Amino acid sequence: MEMVSGKHTAPGMPRSSNANAFAAIENQLMTKVLLIEDDSETAEEITAELADRGFEIEWSANGIEGLDKARLLRPDAMIVDRLLPGMDGLTIIEALRKEQVRTPVLVLSALGAVDDRVRGLRMGGDDYLTKPFAIVELVARIEALLRRPAESRETTLRVGPLELDLIERTARRGDRMIDLLPREFRLLEYMMQRSDQLLTRAMLLEEVWNYKFVPATNLVDVHMGRLRHKVDGPDEAPMIHNVRGAGFILRIAP
Amino acid sequence: MRRPDFISSNTFHWALMVAGVFAIFVIMLFGFIYWKTDQYLIARSDRMIASQMNVIAGLSSERRLEALDEHLRQDSRGVQYAGLFGSDGHRIAGNLDSLPLELKMDNLVQTVSVVRMVPTGRENRMIRAIARRLPSGDVLVIGREVDEIKEMSHVVGEALALGLLPGFCLCLLAGAWLSVRAQKRVEEVNRRVQRIIAGDLRERLPHRTVDEPFSKLAVIVNGMLDEMETMIHALAGVGNDIAHDLRTPLTRARLTLERGRTNAATLEQLQAVADKAIAGIDQSLAIITALLRLAEIENSRRSAGFGSVALHEMLREVCDIYEPIAENKNVALHVRVTDQLTVRGDRDLLIEAVANLVDNAIKFTPEGGKVDMELLRGDAEAIVRVTDTGCGISEKEREAVLRRFYRSDKMRNTAGVGLGLSLVAAIVKLHGFRLAIFSGSGCRVEIICPDREDGVKELPRLGKGRAAS
Repeated sequence: MEMVSGKHTAPGMPRSSNANAFAAIENQLMTKVLLIEDDSETAEEITAELADRGFEIEWSANGIEGLDKARLLRPDAMIVDRLLPGMDGLTIIEALRKEQVRTPVLVLSALGAVDDRVRGLRMGGDDYLTKPFAIVELVARIEALLRRPAESRETTLRVGPLELDLIERTARRGDRMIDLLPREFRLLEYMMQRSDQLLTRAMLLEEVWNYKFVPATNLVDVHMGRLRHKVDGPDEAPMIHNVRGAGFILRIAP
Repeated sequence: MRRPDFISSNTFHWALMVAGVFAIFVIMLFGFIYWKTDQYLIARSDRMIASQMNVIAGLSSERRLEALDEHLRQDSRGVQYAGLFGSDGHRIAGNLDSLPLELKMDNLVQTVSVVRMVPTGRENRMIRAIARRLPSGDVLVIGREVDEIKEMSHVVGEALALGLLPGFCLCLLAGAWLSVRAQKRVEEVNRRVQRIIAGDLRERLPHRTVDEPFSKLAVIVNGMLDEMETMIHALAGVGNDIAHDLRTPLTRARLTLERGRTNAATLEQLQAVADKAIAGIDQSLAIITALLRLAEIENSRRSAGFGSVALHEMLREVCDIYEPIAENKNVALHVRVTDQLTVRGDRDLLIEAVANLVDNAIKFTPEGGKVDMELLRGDAEAIVRVTDTGCGISEKEREAVLRRFYRSDKMRNTAGVGLGLSLVAAIVKLHGFRLAIFSGSGCRVEIICPDREDGVKELPRLGKGRAAS
């Protein structure tokens, strides 16, 4: 698959707020992602989408070749299907981890068996996605894996005018103190650690609330609505943005 | 030549074996009777010989000769033997040619070989005889041929021929008949089973009302078939429901796209149309995801991943997540915890179950109402109770609400997939807990977690019988 570089206006796809969400990736051209997936249709779809987002993507349809490529190319991130001809996806990850390869891995699986998920993560996978998935979910997670916040000793998080004191448990925007409930604090902390990144509802549910399922009610939207109400004052430039059909993003107001 | 099937059948082999054992037994029985009778007849004959000897030996010598003649003359069957021999061994009277050599003097009755004089000459005979030396020096021999033995063996032989052979044949016939009958029934059952396999779910195995193992088995299998038929029909019903519930949002998406294609003039309008269509497709996907999740939980056998779950913490967490939703709807959400209770289970799944209950409760409670989550200590059980002030569940609906896709008519216009309670029921069942739904005004649902008898008891596997009530 050829890489579509630079301006990521894919054919037939208007530049929308959705695409803005990934603008940050522009600065990281040639981020190498290795995809190990035996289903060619899924692979093509993923490859096309990631290429549009400015990734250099390498595809391998079977496990043994995939492991070789992982050793040879040293990609920045990997997407590995669980069931593969030649070698099981989890075995690949296990092998790499034994060789002290720390490349972040997103595991794909046809069925979200709870055991599968646990095993996938235990074997050294960093995140887990169940088929069928929305492509935007996959991209958001790959981006999150690539930009995992470093273990920092900072006790204060800052994004533009927004400041979060992790010890005092206080938040302020400029001079304005923001009064947050514990759950709102947790959510804002997570978002500030990943500013400029698209965070999908499923990611927020898993990471902030430790929810492993998608609830019937749009829980995340309600929580986010409340947080946004507190963070973005009536005459302030909005920082929390709703990316339609995808999730949320915290960004410094222009 | 092909042997008939029944000969190779197990039933027939058994019958053959039983017939063989029966024959051996009968032969042994007859042998025993023969032997005993033989002994008895000989003993009787011996007593007679001994008493005759006593009588004849006690007579005077003239009377003795007369008595001997008389004794032999009266013997119409020719079984009596008698002889009087001089001290040198020459024959004085009687029908014996000579004094038998092996015959011991003054002993008990014994079996000896004698030579008998008959009008046509001499013949050798085996008889029972006794010999006594008389005071005169002569030797008196009295004997008897036990000819009844011959008759006996004849009778026994006849009885064997008459009884044993037909009995043996009868046994074989019965075996053959039984095996043919069993085979026929197996064939009949096979025919019907083939029909069931071919899809005729109403077919049943033949059985009679008599108390017979084969019929009992057929009744048991029929019971199983009844259950399976009901289940398959229920599944088919679920399939229809799924199709229906999937079609609705898909139809809507299709209509939106169709209309948008014709009417949208600007990019923004087209995008709005696309968003609406995506929402419809997302709903279909949500249904599929929920179904897969349900199947996953129902098929799950695992209890290995179970850990201890603090119910009070769990309730607070669920409350924390749902509080804003309840507030938005102006519904008061409260947690009341009397004890700090812990159960063994999968934390994620239990949260999912409780969250589903609370989600439902908030959804079905009108504005201004309230939803309470309680953790109670019951009689050897922990109870998680979710109560709301909504319209409640009627007695009639109590069973139905657990069915997949069931949605109360009152709630037709509420958003939702209709799988929530099925999911809760599946999770509860997986843990070996019970789900209780109370009818009346306002809904009350309880997850009852029985205490485990000890710390290590294996959790019950998912299966029938412990279904939610």
